[in-house]
Amino acid sequence: MQYSPENMVPFGPVHPALKEPEYFKLILEGEKIVEVIPRIGYVHRGIERAAQDRTWIKNVYLFERICGICSFAHSIAYTQAIENLLQFEIPRRARYIRLIIAELERIHSHLLWLGLVGYWTGFDTLFMWIWKDREHVLDLVETITGNRIHKSYSTISGVRRDLPDNIGEPLRKEMKYIEERSEYYKSLVSSEETLVIRTRGIGRINQDIVRKLCPVGPLLRCTGIARDVRVEDPYAAYDEIIPDVKTSNDGDIASLLLLRIEEVKESCRLVLEAFEKIPSGPVKLTAPRSVPKGEAIFHVEAPRGELFYFVRSPGGTIPDRVKIRTPTMANLLTATEMLKGHTLADVPVVLTGMDPCFGCMDRVSIVELDKSKQWAIRGEELRQFGIDWYKQRRSKT
Amino acid sequence: MNALQIAEILLFPGLTFFVWLAFVFDWLDRKTSARMQGRVGPLLAGPHGILQPVADFFKLTSKEEIIPEYADKFVFLWGPPLFFAAPAVGTIFLPVAGLNALVFDPYDLLFILFLLAFSTLMAAMLGYASAGRYSTIAIGRLVVQYTSFEVPLIISIITPAVLAGSLSVEGIVVAQSHYWYILFAPISFAVFIIATLAELEKPPFDIPSAKTEIVAGWMTEFSARSLAYVKLTKNLSYVFLSALAVSLFLGGPSGPVLTQASTLQNLLYLIYFLVKLFAVGFGIFAIRTSLARIRIEQAASLFWTILTPLSLLQLGIVIFLR
Amino acid sequence: MGEMFRTAFQRPVTKDYPFGAPQVAERFRGKLDIDPVKCTGCGVCEAVCPATVITMIPVGKRKVAGREIENKRPVFDLYTCISCGQCVDDCRFGALWLTHEFELATTDKNSLVMNKALKVVV
Repeated sequence: MQYSPENMVPFGPVHPALKEPEYFKLILEGEKIVEVIPRIGYVHRGIERAAQDRTWIKNVYLFERICGICSFAHSIAYTQAIENLLQFEIPRRARYIRLIIAELERIHSHLLWLGLVGYWTGFDTLFMWIWKDREHVLDLVETITGNRIHKSYSTISGVRRDLPDNIGEPLRKEMKYIEERSEYYKSLVSSEETLVIRTRGIGRINQDIVRKLCPVGPLLRCTGIARDVRVEDPYAAYDEIIPDVKTSNDGDIASLLLLRIEEVKESCRLVLEAFEKIPSGPVKLTAPRSVPKGEAIFHVEAPRGELFYFVRSPGGTIPDRVKIRTPTMANLLTATEMLKGHTLADVPVVLTGMDPCFGCMDRVSIVELDKSKQWAIRGEELRQFGIDWYKQRRSKT
Repeated sequence: MNALQIAEILLFPGLTFFVWLAFVFDWLDRKTSARMQGRVGPLLAGPHGILQPVADFFKLTSKEEIIPEYADKFVFLWGPPLFFAAPAVGTIFLPVAGLNALVFDPYDLLFILFLLAFSTLMAAMLGYASAGRYSTIAIGRLVVQYTSFEVPLIISIITPAVLAGSLSVEGIVVAQSHYWYILFAPISFAVFIIATLAELEKPPFDIPSAKTEIVAGWMTEFSARSLAYVKLTKNLSYVFLSALAVSLFLGGPSGPVLTQASTLQNLLYLIYFLVKLFAVGFGIFAIRTSLARIRIEQAASLFWTILTPLSLLQLGIVIFLR
Repeated sequence: MGEMFRTAFQRPVTKDYPFGAPQVAERFRGKLDIDPVKCTGCGVCEAVCPATVITMIPVGKRKVAGREIENKRPVFDLYTCISCGQCVDDCRFGALWLTHEFELATTDKNSLVMNKALKVVV
């Protein structure tokens, strides 16, 4: 679409509203947005290429550091893909523990997003209060796994350590606390007038857009379509502890708020149920160093949606190819579609309504060279390409 | 003008006193909103962090001034002092220590209204001189917001003037020696406070300097000394408008007269004034902490469709009752 | 709104560190430490470290099954360590563990190199 510098507002790459840098060109008419053109690639770190140099067990630590917020989801997706290749059956207790930590991570991620909605609408108080409650969850995770964010807890044949002995009492107390606070926040977001007028009716999507652009995760569920990987293709212990898939019906940001609060409460229930029913037994087995030849795929329900891993092994100690498709990649175009027709003031709220994790997403930057069909591009060539591109751009303007 | 009057204007209870109050208000604002959010707020600079705003001011003045390439240098550099002058000059018309203001003019309320308009004009000019994309959007919002809140603000200021039969602040304060006007015109007081939030760009009306949308609004391109003055001016406006609210609706420094000695009387008046000022300040801090930011068209519709008719209604009631 | 006033009068949540003691959980993964006596130089830690912190340095020779082979001991470049604990899990002799120390910022990289395993050679 033709645009001139007068009606194009650059949003990002560095912007107070975005936690990670991405560049969105907003084409405005007055204050109304008519088109959004995203450019990604600002956080590309070459992780898929780095995975090809490291052994299977070293890659666990690489992949959990793709994202801080959905770190455990990456971890279990990768380890379960390899367990499929090895044709292992991991101990039942390990599966339950993975569920508990995954749900704790979902709670912390949703609380993080809810607090940030407060921040983006100028409601600092909500931000501070919700993050105060999130600290309870993070302390619990630290007690179990040893670290708050990069949990390093899942390993190729189970989990690395068992739960601490006296974790039952703090777990129940914290989950009850989080449930009460979620009730309070639910009433707050529905009744606080300034928040309501900022979020109701904003960024509305309906089922047609959803069918066309295929978002995943809460963005999909807020239009009333109940799809969740945990129920459709159960992993960890989800076949025995079945989550209740929540939906909300309006497709706007207010319904995303309510949906995520409901998911937090559901996760609290799942954690407590899993803890009551957890079987005893070992938590890990010894895994061999080399993985037989083959390909495996695995998908998990990360807090943001469906996270998809593809692993190909040549039959040795090092993977041949690992491809990751993160939920933010699937939601990006839906989010830009949600923005059309709204004003500049809604951009932070809507773009971040999909709970973007550009750090996760950007690893999937695809490099295409039309001269020679290379799969990888050398560092020096890339640098030269960048220099030429900027020189060309500066001479044009 | 003799030397004593000049000293009074510059030092106490004039410029220096109000600048000191501006720092105190900034500290109180940060501390109370922090405590309400479960944080500590400023802690280390001075006891309980009370010197934090002073430290911020001096830190800013020690930084390098960066002027954007296409900015209008003259306005960029000389705008902030003029912006500072607007509320600073306004403070000399308010009675603080004693029932007489430092400078008296029968029509000084109109001059204060002019100063409010002038400060918004200066803000818009500063944003315009910055020549940045975010500043341009911000000025649009600033002007829309200003035109929206100006009318209810003026009406709610005129109401106590009508009640007192005088167009000077001192006259209004003196006329409140028996009853405070907030009892007669509560709606005007509420409208005035809401319009104050809009003038100062505090939530829910911090639209022109919305941090997560347009970085810092019209203040985006300012860096060192200019930013220090701009921030100081915003805090000074905070104090000035709260003091105006106190003078127009809460009787200024008036209160029970306990002694006849003139200096002690003035001291008492000062104490009453400060107590009321901090009460109004706390009210504003509480409101600002508890609300989110609304959009510009929602703010405009709020002011035009709800607050203007309400303040007109109040004015009508007051005229009728007189 | 009532919540606001209630929070205002409670103690703030901010922890006192660095003016008070830091609070870490028991399983917290801090700086790595080694017991040189237990280390046999098998080299498994070097093979599994994701951050290539460990380098096995030859410190002499020893006899194994009648042949003379190099005896190695690990040197840890702890400035690269991510405290994942994989070496701790995989060491069969229990020579490695993670402490609670986390205040490791320094201006001298060499102060974070741990080579005490080189000194005790059986």
